[in-house]
Amino acid sequence: MSTAPPDTGGGTWTAGLRDRLSRTVPADQLLPDRQPAYVASWIYVFGVLTLAGLIVVVGSGLVLSFGGAIWWHTSSLGHFVNSVHLWSVELFFACMVIHLWGKFWMAAWRGHRGLTWVTGVVAFVASIGAAFTGYLTQSNFDSQWISGEAKDGINSIGVGSWFNVLNPGQMLMWHIVLLPLAVGVIAVLHILMVRRHGVVPPLGDEEVSS
Amino acid sequence: MTTTTTLRPGRRTPDSHGYPTRSYDLVKEFVLALGLMTALSLVLAGIFSSPDDPSITMSGWAKADPADVVATAAGELAGTTTSATYGAPYNHASEGQSVLGLQLQKWGGVGVPVDSADLVLQPLRGVTGDPRTSLALAAWDALPASAQTAAATAYADALAKAPDGDPAQVPAGRYGPLPAMTAAFLRLAQGGGLEGSLTSSGTFYGGDQTRSMLLLSDGAYLEDTAVADHLGGDQWGMMNEVGNYPGQPWMWLYTFWYQVKPFSTSENADAQVWMLMMGLTLALILLPWIPGLRSIPRWIPVHRLIWREHYRRQRT
Amino acid sequence: MDSVFDAGKYVSWGVVSISLTNLLVILAMVVIFVLALVIPFPHDHESPSDGGDA
Repeated sequence: MSTAPPDTGGGTWTAGLRDRLSRTVPADQLLPDRQPAYVASWIYVFGVLTLAGLIVVVGSGLVLSFGGAIWWHTSSLGHFVNSVHLWSVELFFACMVIHLWGKFWMAAWRGHRGLTWVTGVVAFVASIGAAFTGYLTQSNFDSQWISGEAKDGINSIGVGSWFNVLNPGQMLMWHIVLLPLAVGVIAVLHILMVRRHGVVPPLGDEEVSS
Repeated sequence: MTTTTTLRPGRRTPDSHGYPTRSYDLVKEFVLALGLMTALSLVLAGIFSSPDDPSITMSGWAKADPADVVATAAGELAGTTTSATYGAPYNHASEGQSVLGLQLQKWGGVGVPVDSADLVLQPLRGVTGDPRTSLALAAWDALPASAQTAAATAYADALAKAPDGDPAQVPAGRYGPLPAMTAAFLRLAQGGGLEGSLTSSGTFYGGDQTRSMLLLSDGAYLEDTAVADHLGGDQWGMMNEVGNYPGQPWMWLYTFWYQVKPFSTSENADAQVWMLMMGLTLALILLPWIPGLRSIPRWIPVHRLIWREHYRRQRT
Repeated sequence: MDSVFDAGKYVSWGVVSISLTNLLVILAMVVIFVLALVIPFPHDHESPSDGGDA
């Protein structure tokens, strides 16, 4: 244990927040250069692959933003960037689901890690929403058909007055602003929790108390 | 800091910080992962590209399936199309869907009001220099509402019975100005005058395709095109993409329910499937606290593969 | 105008109908998952057992 004793510095908000943060994840646990010896399986790389995939998705999306919403229809470079965006999304989801399978079979929620599991599933659901609004943003036949179908599902539960999938301007902004922010924040929380609690110990190592 | 917790009386997960460790370079791992995912994305994009089937324009629709445009226009004026009878959020024509007795669709309210007859009338009223259209509109406006509906319904029914829905083969009947109005609407569409008419007319910038999409969805051409691409609701369409491109495999369970009873024949399928999937999603989120489900990893020991080195070391 | 030739290849079995591409994606994921479980992970930087990390 190597955290410095908290310096409450006269009870300032700054010191209070600093203490709170360093208690949540001590600085040397944010980026440790050692890990438990039982972390020795290729299944463990799928979390970081998912994170890397997300960065490629956002990065290719950023490039698309330079050209605008309809750039990819008229520019071969734009079309290529769109393709990178599509395939990175497929890779992102594939790695995220394999990561989910691994964490399920490890029962990785054990040892106070329930919230880590919860943020992971919520990140998955938010990602599905982000992908969905992406498909609506293509401004082509796909967008027409998907919006026409999806409106029925969303209207059936009374949400259609506020979330109008037939409105590309609204869907574009959900796709490039609101949902990436949500996915990003949830992913950061998820990773912070992994750093806080450490990688879950193997099943069967539970201590039996008397 | 100890972070043990009690799973159930008598069992605690040990602190991961109490185990033997080894050196591991997390940042290098991340950089390698980023390089791999970037390379894979670039290679896949370079080889397979991405689909871009062009939108169906109003004029494209009118040229490919003129009978469908005429039938749709007649239906809008008769108040029989999907949008005209939809209910919330577009109008009050229907109670909409309900699930478990909850009238969620109706409770959402009419927040995106759309007059389906106006999808035809508004563009027609913008036409100038065409006496046939002006006269037909004047005749329509002179009719009382009940006569308007009767004429439009009669014409829509006659179109449905005509061979190939061809307006030219509709027998004589009491259709009022409907044949002239729908023919004018078709001319407008074929000439490109309908693009933007329902979205940016009077406002220049537009940006909301709601009215255009509702008109297009009221016809059969959009759905026929989608079904030909295997994107229909009862074709697992939610998972699919045009051509041989990968779609959304993660939507498999959502679309599965639409393929089986009772959902495949239910008028409330959308609301029911939504409620069911929200329930299953909640179960996945709360899995750590669901007895039985949370014990599956213990009963089916896939973990013995993952941690085999660790267990081997424990035995020696 | 789209024609039936725009539809990709599909595999059907009872109520299930899946595109060949989607099927290959899912199968590849399962194969990769199994490989990740069985392929040994290199651990040549193992230090002598120490009592744990801070």
